[in-house]
Amino acid sequence: MSSRRADIGVFWAAAVRDIIGHMLETEELRKTFGTGKVALDRVSFAVRPGEMFGFVGANGAGKTTTMRIVMGVLEADSGEVRWKGGPLGFAERRRFGYMPEERGLYQKMKVAEQIDYFGRLHGLSPAASKKATAELVERLGLTERTKDAVEALSLGNQQRVQLAVALVHDPDVLILDEPFSGLDPIAVDALAEALRERARGGVPVIFSSHQLDLVERLCDSVGIISAGRMVASGTVDELRGAEGRKLRVIVADPKPGWADGLSGELTVEGGREVLVTEEDDDQRVLRAAMSAGRVEHFGVERPTLTEIFKEAVA
Amino acid sequence: MNGLLLVAGREIRTQVRSKAFVVGLVIMVLLVGAISFAPKVLGGPDSYKVGLVASERLPVWGDTKIEWKDYADEAGAQRAVLDGDVDAALVGGTRVLTDGAIDDQLGLLLQSAHREAQIGSSGVKITPLSMESVGADTRYQKTRSGIAVVLVIVLFMLIIGTPMMVAMGVVEEKGSRIVEILLTSVRPWQLLGGKILGLGAVGMINLVAILVAGLGGALASGLAVDFPPGMAGIVVGVCVWFVLGYVFFAALAAALGSLVSRQEEVGNVLTPMTMTMMASYGVAFYSVKEPTSLVATIVSYIPPFSSMVMPVRSAAAEVPLWQVLISAGLMVAGVVVVVLLAARIYERAVLRTGARVRLRDVVTSR
Ligand SMILES: Nc1ncnc2c1ncn2[C@@H]1O[C@H](COP(=O)(O)OP(=O)(O)O)[C@@H](O)[C@H]1O
Ligand SMILES: [Mg+2]
Repeated sequence: MSSRRADIGVFWAAAVRDIIGHMLETEELRKTFGTGKVALDRVSFAVRPGEMFGFVGANGAGKTTTMRIVMGVLEADSGEVRWKGGPLGFAERRRFGYMPEERGLYQKMKVAEQIDYFGRLHGLSPAASKKATAELVERLGLTERTKDAVEALSLGNQQRVQLAVALVHDPDVLILDEPFSGLDPIAVDALAEALRERARGGVPVIFSSHQLDLVERLCDSVGIISAGRMVASGTVDELRGAEGRKLRVIVADPKPGWADGLSGELTVEGGREVLVTEEDDDQRVLRAAMSAGRVEHFGVERPTLTEIFKEAVA
Repeated sequence: MNGLLLVAGREIRTQVRSKAFVVGLVIMVLLVGAISFAPKVLGGPDSYKVGLVASERLPVWGDTKIEWKDYADEAGAQRAVLDGDVDAALVGGTRVLTDGAIDDQLGLLLQSAHREAQIGSSGVKITPLSMESVGADTRYQKTRSGIAVVLVIVLFMLIIGTPMMVAMGVVEEKGSRIVEILLTSVRPWQLLGGKILGLGAVGMINLVAILVAGLGGALASGLAVDFPPGMAGIVVGVCVWFVLGYVFFAALAAALGSLVSRQEEVGNVLTPMTMTMMASYGVAFYSVKEPTSLVATIVSYIPPFSSMVMPVRSAAAEVPLWQVLISAGLMVAGVVVVVLLAARIYERAVLRTGARVRLRDVVTSR
């Protein structure tokens, strides 16, 4: 009996170690640019292995600055980026995959050659790099274009090459700055699937985006940054929780004054009255509505990420 | 090290495959090959044709060759002179017919040969004067100057052209932000060093091809017999000086290039460097004519000017080895300083995109 409890203890300890062991964290990052502009003010978040983390915020909020600090392209004034519970150095970053906000490829270099080159730079052997390149080219639908110079490709295809460059070395962590911008809906789905697959493989994936519906659909957790500060972070459900649960009731042709005893906001739409309330006792609200008229809708209002975002940033 | 070699490999492959490289190389090779042929074609003749009418051949000695041609009568010889078939015709062993005034050298040659023939027939033997220079050996002066001129042009083009490519490559990577990805997988010194190494190898390919074309042309045209002693030393010296000069200017070009983000700004930001190069070029050209002058001697010790002036000076005139070694030692020291400084500037500036980075900011910060 006691030995089993000990086993469970060991199991949990191992599990926790495993999670922390592959977690990417930032702690209190601060960055002020030479111009005196405070770009980041104590930015902290954590991304677990296999978690897809959506990083959202208005233009100039500090997403790119944060990601560049994580990738070591910029240096924070203070604060720390940790990987697997320890400091993040060059050798570890070399195993990261990165797609910068401003895409960069050698315009005159051929597609396959370019992907292969980055594979080698990230430390793959010639054979492994060739193999990874061939697989990616195939997966991303670039087979026909392997011998074309990058400059001859459409923007969408250039973006695929950019993604291939970030993926070629089978990275431990993926950091993508607005990877979905400028893609058509089909390309968005393809990219989303590629990222999900990496996350399923246990890789923490961080990406920034303005497309909140996409982030809501794709991400396990979300960080909202505003003017250099993390104003909210957690799973979408947690963020909703912080918002407070709301009930939405629609009653057709109700008796007037039925909602007088309830808090919240009552609006009239055609012959219907709509009540949005934060009352804790949902059954009491339902009873009041049923006695007032025909209840057409009764449900928990789930705020969209867009609403959460607007609330958080306001 | 591996990262450095990968970067260098990419630079070499990219350049060697480009049209600009192939076309440039072919043009240079043809040009230098032609130049090494030219003195034979353009220089004064060292053989003459002389017609003979009722005359014996004269005992000519020395480097100059005379091709004799017999004519039956004076009228035939006269026609040959006027048609340019022969340079002169000797009639009856006493008169020389020419078309206008006789070529100075040929005139002297015929006169002295005639005199010797006359004296020889009276039984007196003459030993030719033996010539000894107690000053500098000037026998090879013409060839030396020729080689020096070619070197000035070749070194100038390669030492200015190759660092230019380094700067353009740096700006390409910075401007396209590809450097952000590169620097998460290689160190700045690997990226910078690989670029300098790779493009340097491309420059070296150019230089070796040009030297081979020049030497090959000289051998084929027979010009090579006039090569001064120690030609091999001159050739090796040129390669060493190219490497020193190239690394110096390439590091400088990379550092300056890393300050800007757009190709259009490269020319502007490199101005101080191009001015230095033009100055080196000017002095180098001057030392072709005046290799022993005080200016050429002094400047051939000062880095980076020495990288162009010293090889030219030692081709144009004989320079003691110890002087070359001192000059090379100073240049190596200059290269080390510039490379260290350039690496520092590059590392700090290459990720700062946007407006041109001020040199003072990168050198002094942190
Ligand atoms: N190199 C820089 N110099 C000065 N200010 C900068 C620099 N980079 C970013 N900033 C400023 O920092 C803030 C955050 O920028 P950024 O991280 O790019 O935002 P986001 O990616 O969320 O749109 C912005 O106000 C921006 O103007
Ligand atoms: Mg951004």
